[in-house]
Amino acid sequence: MLDYLEHLPLAEWVRSSPSVFAYSTVLSAHGVGLGIVVGVNTVIALRLLGVAPDIPLAGLRRLYGVVWVGFFINLVSGLLLFIAEAHTMAGMVAFWTKLLFVAAGMCVAELLKRLYFTDRASVQAGVVTRVGRNLAIASLGCWYLALIAGRLTAYPDMVNGWLHLTGGST
Amino acid sequence: MQAFVNSHEWIWSVLQMIHYVGMSLIVGIIGTLDLRILGLFRSIPIAAFRPLVPWAVGGFCGNLLTGYLFVTGKDSGPSYYTDNLSFRLKMAFLVLVFLNLLIFQLSKLEQKTYATPAGAQAPVAAKWISAVSLLGWILVIFFGRTMQYNDTLLMFLGL
Repeated sequence: MLDYLEHLPLAEWVRSSPSVFAYSTVLSAHGVGLGIVVGVNTVIALRLLGVAPDIPLAGLRRLYGVVWVGFFINLVSGLLLFIAEAHTMAGMVAFWTKLLFVAAGMCVAELLKRLYFTDRASVQAGVVTRVGRNLAIASLGCWYLALIAGRLTAYPDMVNGWLHLTGGST
Repeated sequence: MQAFVNSHEWIWSVLQMIHYVGMSLIVGIIGTLDLRILGLFRSIPIAAFRPLVPWAVGGFCGNLLTGYLFVTGKDSGPSYYTDNLSFRLKMAFLVLVFLNLLIFQLSKLEQKTYATPAGAQAPVAAKWISAVSLLGWILVIFFGRTMQYNDTLLMFLGL
């Protein structure tokens, strides 16, 4: 399966093309998407935790539209980066850890929507419930841990050294 | 400083993480503010975003410091960066976004923009400033990431 992905013409192009629009641009897009997803989720969390209290909570919810744009950019660029180096990525602890925190972050966003933003009385009154605050903290935790784990995929030998693992980074 | 940065393998990776956190704060906060000025989520008064701006400034200061450590601490010497076209373009676009910000602040456009209430549109001049800011920051990130793959950029430009 990983072999199949790595040998797709698209994967070969991303990995080996000398074009600036191949690996360089896909990686840059992944960085921009990271900034959008982590940054806009941070704005939402900071508001729920009391920074910028004048942002109306009903309006705040609309920022999730921007998060989705960032998430889509990173889903597409992330898939391209994965198939380009499927074996390397699939063998990395940091990569799976990152995906776990991304999934957790998305779940927390969904929980915020269901358990807090649907509470119209609180949202209209500008009250952030304890559930809302706790989920905001969880959101910050998930996204910044995802960022850290994602960065660590650039240092597989160092991570393997910490975990007393050998190989896996070929 | 160069000795410190290279003394342990993890230091460089932690500096990178800090640099990415700063980037996220800038993109999230300044980007959201730019989008509001451009006319999205108009139910939010523009001034309501203001308490978030110091967080973006904090992120920027962190990135100035970590960026300085990358350039001065690079094991192969600072010329790795200073001779790198992507790095130079990144710096050029950073200067552009700063001149853009300076125009915004010195022209009193900032005051008018922050006075925009919920539901209203920002002044058209402020929209141009925001468009330049959004595009400028995206290019700063783009060229920041292409530094490592500078030869693809050089080839594209026929250099």
